[in-house]
Amino acid sequence: MKFTLTLVFILFLFSVKAQTTISGNVSDSSGNPIPGANIYLEGTYDGASSDENGNFTFTSSETGQQILTISFLSFETFTLVEDVSKMINLKIKLKEDVNSLDSVILNAGTFAAGDNSKAAVLTPLDIVTTAGAAGDFIGALQTLPGTSNNEEDGRLFVRGGDANETNIYIDGLRVFQPFAATTNNIPTRGRFSSFLFQGTNFSTGGYSSEYGDALSSVLLLNTIDEPDQEKTELQFINVGLGGGNTQKWGKNSLSINGFYLNLAPYQEIISQRIEWIKPYESLSGEAVYRHKFNNGLLKVYGGLSYASFDLIQDDINTPNGFNFGLKNRNLYMNSTYNGTLGNDWKIATGLSFANDYNDIGFEDTDVKDVENSFHLKLKLRKRFSNRFKLSFGMEQFLNSFSEDATSPDFGEFNSKFENNSTAVFTEANIFFSKKLAMQLGVRGVHNTLLNNTKVSPRASLAYKTSSKSQISLAYGDFYQAPQQNILKFDTDLEPEKSSHYIFNYLYQNNGRQLRAEGYYKTYKSLVKFDTEIPEFDSNFTNLGDGYAAGVDIFWRDNKSIKNLEYWASYSYLNTERDYRNYPNRATPNFATEHSLSLVTKYWISDWKSLLSTTYNFGSGRPYNDPNESVFQNKKTKTFNSVNFSWAYLISQQKILYFSVSNVLGFDNVFNYQYSNTPEMNGNFARQPVRPNADRFFILGFFWTISDDKNDNQLDNL
Amino acid sequence: MRTFIIVFTIIVSTTLQAQSPYEKGMNKAFELWGSQKPDEAINLFERIGRAEKDNWLPFYYAAQVHIITTFNIKDANEIESRLKKAQGFLNESRTFSKENAEILIMEAMLNTAYVVYNPSVNGPLLSAKVEELYRKAKVLEPENPRATLYHAEWKMGGAKFWGKDPKDFCPEVEKAILYFEKAKSNDIPFYPSWGKDQVARIQQNCK
Repeated sequence: MKFTLTLVFILFLFSVKAQTTISGNVSDSSGNPIPGANIYLEGTYDGASSDENGNFTFTSSETGQQILTISFLSFETFTLVEDVSKMINLKIKLKEDVNSLDSVILNAGTFAAGDNSKAAVLTPLDIVTTAGAAGDFIGALQTLPGTSNNEEDGRLFVRGGDANETNIYIDGLRVFQPFAATTNNIPTRGRFSSFLFQGTNFSTGGYSSEYGDALSSVLLLNTIDEPDQEKTELQFINVGLGGGNTQKWGKNSLSINGFYLNLAPYQEIISQRIEWIKPYESLSGEAVYRHKFNNGLLKVYGGLSYASFDLIQDDINTPNGFNFGLKNRNLYMNSTYNGTLGNDWKIATGLSFANDYNDIGFEDTDVKDVENSFHLKLKLRKRFSNRFKLSFGMEQFLNSFSEDATSPDFGEFNSKFENNSTAVFTEANIFFSKKLAMQLGVRGVHNTLLNNTKVSPRASLAYKTSSKSQISLAYGDFYQAPQQNILKFDTDLEPEKSSHYIFNYLYQNNGRQLRAEGYYKTYKSLVKFDTEIPEFDSNFTNLGDGYAAGVDIFWRDNKSIKNLEYWASYSYLNTERDYRNYPNRATPNFATEHSLSLVTKYWISDWKSLLSTTYNFGSGRPYNDPNESVFQNKKTKTFNSVNFSWAYLISQQKILYFSVSNVLGFDNVFNYQYSNTPEMNGNFARQPVRPNADRFFILGFFWTISDDKNDNQLDNL
Repeated sequence: MRTFIIVFTIIVSTTLQAQSPYEKGMNKAFELWGSQKPDEAINLFERIGRAEKDNWLPFYYAAQVHIITTFNIKDANEIESRLKKAQGFLNESRTFSKENAEILIMEAMLNTAYVVYNPSVNGPLLSAKVEELYRKAKVLEPENPRATLYHAEWKMGGAKFWGKDPKDFCPEVEKAILYFEKAKSNDIPFYPSWGKDQVARIQQNCK
């Protein structure tokens, strides 16, 4: 008996360890049941999944206070601290995770490319395989709406703004001379090789308070965090030679590349409209070193380039043309640290430095200028929750410029200035729900040269109208200091100002994307002067103003036709401004009323070829005819260009590349230059400003050498 | 004394019969996966992972179920959120086992899933990464049958794309078969041993 009792007692112990039942129901904020949610007591094996009606029930031998966790894809994880005995018939409402893929995006004004951003319009491959871009990452951006194609310049002209109104940043730090030095009517290219970058954000307006000193646009480039593998890349092109190498060891990696460009042999074969004394020649090298710390990433970038050319430019007022020669040396360094500080704080800090030296010969005048620029930045970001993030930061710009001009006419002329400014900015990112989000920011800048302080508010709001579409609004004030060519003569000026009002509609459906944006932009305090070009005796004022209004439409479709990807952009632009030496408000020469781009990429697997074509159209550009009484009231004929490129993959690591711009040989005219003095009959004679050659051919061979033998440079072309 | 022996026997036999909660849980999770309840399996793997605290396997399997599931899904949002979640599980898995060939192989499969889902965008972006992951896995375990087999399959896919003969990689598959046979059963319960049943499918390329 004693034995039986003992046995019963022991068995009882085994079978009945007091079990508590935990039960309840999981639903979303509007009460719809969530099946498949994971419900469990933290630190135990006890849990269950919710059924089709969102109900769950399970037992646990735990007692006392416990943590119940409920998690589900695309919802925020919910935790409940409670006594187990009270965890019965729970009603749990999960909040949507605003970081999930189908959340609204704050995208008014912005084109993302290359990164994994939800709003990305271009892939990294697109940036470099767009026909006509010729490996220049700026070229592909010119097929996006909001830009006016100014083929004779090569830089970005955004929404009625001139090229100086766009600033470029690498890893959040300012690039001071992003474009190769050039002269009138000779298009420039970006200084940086496209293969260093993994993501691009191109804002055509309404951008974040983190960025300033640009009236129209910012282009944000991000360098690669971690290269995939060690490799060597070689480029043999009809206009130059290049090579690069990437090494990885431990937590470090180093990529270096160099390129030598010489247009002389090419120009021997293909006739040019310009008389080159010494064709364009450049040598450039870049290096990026990266080190991974436990809580952050350090990147150090350095680029050095030399370029020179000498030519005779056609000029209607100088029968023999005038001589222009340039030697440029540019050094750019950029180092950044991005890391986490714990407690949901993040830090981003860095320093960039540029030294730019130009030796310019302009007929008998010799000009030497040196510019040193620094940008220091510190930004902190605190994530209070998925729904509220706050960032703030501070930056300092130091810029010194000095120029010595010597001429037989006026002897020696020196100018020099220091343009320093300090800025603070803050921005709050608020998600009210998955459907409604807002970003509010403000930026304050004090400029010591101009001796003034400006505060600019920025705001954007986005609302998801359906699972595939959303609308967004953005507003912002933007200030920019006058350009160097004005500051060297007069520093008693105000910064120029613009305000942007943007309305955006976005529709995304499985490989198809429609983006339509309407905007209105005002310009105030634009710099005016009373001479043909800024000079030491010009009178400068801030009395200029203007506006730009327009509609930008972008359509992309990767799905409808097999192996074909295409996108189409259309921009309508209505703009007038009174600036420089304009007698009244007028549309400047760089602004086209209608612009259209159609880009196609077709992959033919049997030929292992990627064929790309780009068609660009621009309506006539305004020019001034002194024979007319109204300023700037004539228009050139329309601009047309069809570009074609063919990448043939000889093997997995060898690519043969051919491209030609303006295949059909349209005779494009950008502007007209008029004589300063009338002819006998009282008429002013003119000559057209045309491209330096109608077509440009590139033939190249790209060879990648890596252990795995299957990476290639298609994404760098 | 007699009482003591009986009681002792009962206690011992109870513990012997009853699997540990870990084993019971893992077996149950595999059973759920086998009976077409992947989400319940993932939930259970995740629960075990959180309860175990220092075991990389439950998170590894939670990631695997997500990855395999995406191969039968069309909805882009669901694919992306599953793969994102799978990457999160693999990251957690890695915190408990740093230099682990199996986790690298799973990460290669995860990136392959991205490529399969959107080849034109993710192909050029992730191909080199997939290669590097298999390469690293093979450095850690030169005779890992899964690394050998799936790397061969990945290269066969590449060869087909480039119009080359995928048969070039058949000797690799043969090696994988050999490695599967050589592979000793691991002392760690639930240590990855899958993949052998895929040999026949991959060998289709060798006919």
